[in-house]
Amino acid sequence: MNRAEKLQELAQLCHVGRDGVAPPAVAPSTLPELDAALPGGGWHSGTIVELMPTETGIGELRLLMPALAQLTRSERYIALISPPFIPFAPALAQHGIRLERLLIVRTQKDTDTLWAFEQTLRCHSFGAVLAWPQQIKDREVRRLQLAAEAGRSIGFLYRSPAAAREASPAAMRLKLQARTNGGMDIEILKCRGGRSGISVHCAPHQNCAA
Amino acid sequence: MLWLCISLPQLPLEALRADAPDKALVVTACEGSTRWVICCNAQAERVNLRPAMNYTMALAIYPQVTALERKPGGEKAALDRLAAWGYQFSSTVIVADIPGKPDRARTAALWLEIGASLKLFGGFRKFIEHVEQELDLLEYSYQLGIAPTLEGAALLARAGIRVAITNVDALYKHIRSLPISTLLLPPNVAEQLDASGVRTLCVLLELPRDAVAKRFGTQIGNFLDRLMGRAADPRPIFELPARYHASFEFDLEIRSTEALLFPLQRMLREFAGFLRARDSGVQRFTLTLSHRQQAPTQLHIGLSTPDRNADRFFEVAREQLERVALAAPTIELVLSADQFASPTALQPDLFNAAFQEAETLSRTLDRMTARLGDSALHGLKPVAEHRPETSWTTAAFDARSAAPRFPPRPLWLLPEPRPLQLSALPSAISGPERIESGWWDSGDVQRDYFIVRTSSGADLWIFRDLSTDSWHLHGFWS
Repeated sequence: MNRAEKLQELAQLCHVGRDGVAPPAVAPSTLPELDAALPGGGWHSGTIVELMPTETGIGELRLLMPALAQLTRSERYIALISPPFIPFAPALAQHGIRLERLLIVRTQKDTDTLWAFEQTLRCHSFGAVLAWPQQIKDREVRRLQLAAEAGRSIGFLYRSPAAAREASPAAMRLKLQARTNGGMDIEILKCRGGRSGISVHCAPHQNCAA
Repeated sequence: MLWLCISLPQLPLEALRADAPDKALVVTACEGSTRWVICCNAQAERVNLRPAMNYTMALAIYPQVTALERKPGGEKAALDRLAAWGYQFSSTVIVADIPGKPDRARTAALWLEIGASLKLFGGFRKFIEHVEQELDLLEYSYQLGIAPTLEGAALLARAGIRVAITNVDALYKHIRSLPISTLLLPPNVAEQLDASGVRTLCVLLELPRDAVAKRFGTQIGNFLDRLMGRAADPRPIFELPARYHASFEFDLEIRSTEALLFPLQRMLREFAGFLRARDSGVQRFTLTLSHRQQAPTQLHIGLSTPDRNADRFFEVAREQLERVALAAPTIELVLSADQFASPTALQPDLFNAAFQEAETLSRTLDRMTARLGDSALHGLKPVAEHRPETSWTTAAFDARSAAPRFPPRPLWLLPEPRPLQLSALPSAISGPERIESGWWDSGDVQRDYFIVRTSSGADLWIFRDLSTDSWHLHGFWS
């Protein structure tokens, strides 16, 4: 066995871990520039991804649509916990989401939002969960990270851009900023198992009229 | 016929469900002007209090004793719940009348005809183990007796003879040396027998039957006939109620929801036994908490799929119970259900991963609904309508829907269009898309929609209201 093969095997072992758990499933973002920067070429199951858009309406949801659509087609559910506006059913359908696989959870306070986030992440039926808490502490992110690992789902946590200055236990942290000529800059603040501190430019998909 | 008798010597205490292990508790009842101790908890026994003790004497022995008044109604309710639970093992269940006199208070019992069920449950040992396991979960103190006659099984249970007896000859062998007092005869008959030197059962049973009836009364003669299977012993058979209604009245007012959980868990286990007996499940049941002054608190517990799993019931009920602010202390807890689901929906297939997945999904949804409320969880579906605000609706989660066609739509919609102050027409990326509709349901709109990009790069969905010539923000191309 040559050196390269040995290294490959070691890397595999690190991934699989002591318990012999299968490597995480990957849901490609289908944006070539972003997939190239994400380890394994997409969003990883069992991780919390923090998304920090500078403002609303820059493509911060469209960014996830291809991966979410793929999950709903592969018989897994997705959940939106405490979304800030009405998730518009016609648009979700246009992005290829199977609506019967989508759960909306409305909450009154942050403790309920985080609790529901954790419950859905832990449940194996959910492939991805998106949540919009007002405030979140480090300790809570760590809990969610563990829940995502246990449920092998992806937790997309939307936070305010101010959070980018703080540290966080999330496996991946992305700051999203629009370009005035279209598309967005994704600054990878943290990326477990990949390169951080880089920035990629990509153009999230538009809807295809159904 | 083979009868299993479940004797419940501690029922007067256990029906009150007031056990505080660190306190000496006794249940008392009056006969005439005398108050008798009829049941003691373990702590009371430790300080030398005994059933059948005069209460004045008990106070003299241990002045700190806590005395509870016996509640025959509660005992009857508990016995009925147990009978419904017992129906899962046998379709012939007989409930003894609750003994009224204080000295008989520890003889509450019910019988199950088990001759027909043994094979079904995989033989004697397995069957008894199964029954005992279930009884342990319900946390009743019990003694079992098995005999071909009702009185025989009850006698063995009271005497603590744990031998399965299947014929009358064997029954005779096992009970012959028992003292006459175990028969619970009326005191005057017992005295008469004692005066005649009849102290054990074998002496009594060897006397000619007619002589016994003549000397000590026909009552005892008939009793011996029933005991030894020489005469039929017809009794009303317990019938499974069409609706489930189990109530539990607390002796002490319950102030914390925490303290309700223990009796609740027991009630749900009995309920699960009832459901197994009916071979059905429930999707909804109701818990009613009564208070002394205020109107009762009702909790409607709903599950996403029909079930008869006590643990799942408990999980969901507890979540809901912990979230209600009880206006006043609880004095009674009632569990009721009147709609039962077909058992076909319940057959679990342990080898079917999809089933298990659905199981964990429905449990997660149940927990969330219990905590967040019925309206907090929903799905979405598009509606074939021109106006954006009516072109979607909430839907039951997991329900398939038709997909009407629309021009491109933004992912976020504002609940209400937000007025915008625009001095000039913004440079639009796309538009206008004219939407005119709604005159038939008085929601008349005439709008021109545009997609515009702000200076910082956000894409907005805005419209000009043609009737008022004003601009509004209606969504984000997030």
